[in-house]
Amino acid sequence: MKYTHLGFICIAAVLIAAQPAYAQEKTGKEKYEERLKSLAERFFAAQKAGTTVKGVIVEGNSLFNGTTEPQNKPYGKPYTDAERKVALRSAERNSKVFLLARDGTLYYPTVKKGQAESESLGAYRFDRIITEEQKQKKTLPWATLVPMVGREIEVLGEVYPGCGGVKGLYIEALWFEGEYIPGKN
Amino acid sequence: MATKKPITLKSIFYTAVSLVWIFGLSAIGHIVMVLIEKYNPGIKYDFAWGCVIVGIAALYSTRFMKSDGWQSFIGCMAGLSFWFAMEYSLMYGGHDLGVTYTWNGSYPEYRMMKWTFMLLVMVFSYLLFQESVRCNFIFYLRRKLRLMRGAIATGKVDNYGPRTFFEYVMVTWTFYVLLMIGYDEVLFGAHSWFVYMVFFASFSVFFYLTYKLLGYDRFGANLRYAIPTVTILWNDVEILAKWNMLKEPWVHINWPIMSVIIGGFAISSYLIVKDLRGRSQDMIETKDIH
Repeated sequence: MKYTHLGFICIAAVLIAAQPAYAQEKTGKEKYEERLKSLAERFFAAQKAGTTVKGVIVEGNSLFNGTTEPQNKPYGKPYTDAERKVALRSAERNSKVFLLARDGTLYYPTVKKGQAESESLGAYRFDRIITEEQKQKKTLPWATLVPMVGREIEVLGEVYPGCGGVKGLYIEALWFEGEYIPGKN
Repeated sequence: MATKKPITLKSIFYTAVSLVWIFGLSAIGHIVMVLIEKYNPGIKYDFAWGCVIVGIAALYSTRFMKSDGWQSFIGCMAGLSFWFAMEYSLMYGGHDLGVTYTWNGSYPEYRMMKWTFMLLVMVFSYLLFQESVRCNFIFYLRRKLRLMRGAIATGKVDNYGPRTFFEYVMVTWTFYVLLMIGYDEVLFGAHSWFVYMVFFASFSVFFYLTYKLLGYDRFGANLRYAIPTVTILWNDVEILAKWNMLKEPWVHINWPIMSVIIGGFAISSYLIVKDLRGRSQDMIETKDIH
């Protein structure tokens, strides 16, 4: 074909365009692995020192309008099955979620102090601390907050004074038992 | 429609190569996105713009190609490039608007894609009512719905590149929207009768389309028909992953399996290019009006 070379130019263009991604992949991969390793070390050290924050994720709208009362339920079981289904649906529609600790303290997940412009944390992928065994099973090393509604998580991060009794919580990494999406890792 | 021929060893070979190539293209598309997201998310929007440029350049290059095989081959890659950009644009939109993941694990960009369904209906309506569109499936619908006012449009198709590109994009888009509607727990749900129906229908239709594909013994028509065939099978791959019955090697980065897929893609690419170069004198089939 007379213009075969044009096809190859296109393929070459694709390969050249992919080169920076490939070239950076190795360093990117190394950085990524190092970050996860460092987070895991810091998390387990904080857990040992008792400075992690543990609680269940609750959905804000139904909590603040008093429709559900996760604060009055036994810790670890903040919703009935029917309530949790609705709370999950509200959360995926971007209603705000909070962390309710065993002592009743309510934490509002927020971004790091000093950061003025931000995004919805309902859409954010948090690094998840996973064990070596989970790593071997190819468990995803990240999680988002929506599927966590009604479940207990433990957070490595910073606590801020917040406002009106609700504290601010910067989540650097989180840990939880079980699968991220039940039936799907 | 492309001229259909009896099934021969040659047509089986061409079908197998086309299916492997299109499957590999989709799988590699997925793994590129996963690798970027995991190791270098900072470049993803630049990469998306790069894909748009490559897609336009690839489409433009088909203008100079005489063989429908080359046009279809490059058209597929243009389609993939634009689809990358489409997904990244929705990713950007989801990020900007704060669209969350769903509780059953669907990603924000796919949640947004679901709501393009009316746009899809509009484009599909155009294709359905525009009598010069010669897609087999749409022509079948038009015939059954008695929408044709006269004979099907005939004549020489000068460039299959844009057609293949459009086919790739439309087929991919349609099935993503279909799956996302199925996964919506308010409408149906990941384990609903609708998703089971899509699963079994896709499985059956894949075999039917493969059988039809066996009638085409040259790259060009074969590659074009392989697009819906593989994408329909891909529905089942996606559904099995949703049901946790399959760990997608491109999501969990299973390199041994990915190496096989990449190897298959490389070999099939070589075979297609070798064949198309061998047919470099061939001109467009004037009767092939798909």
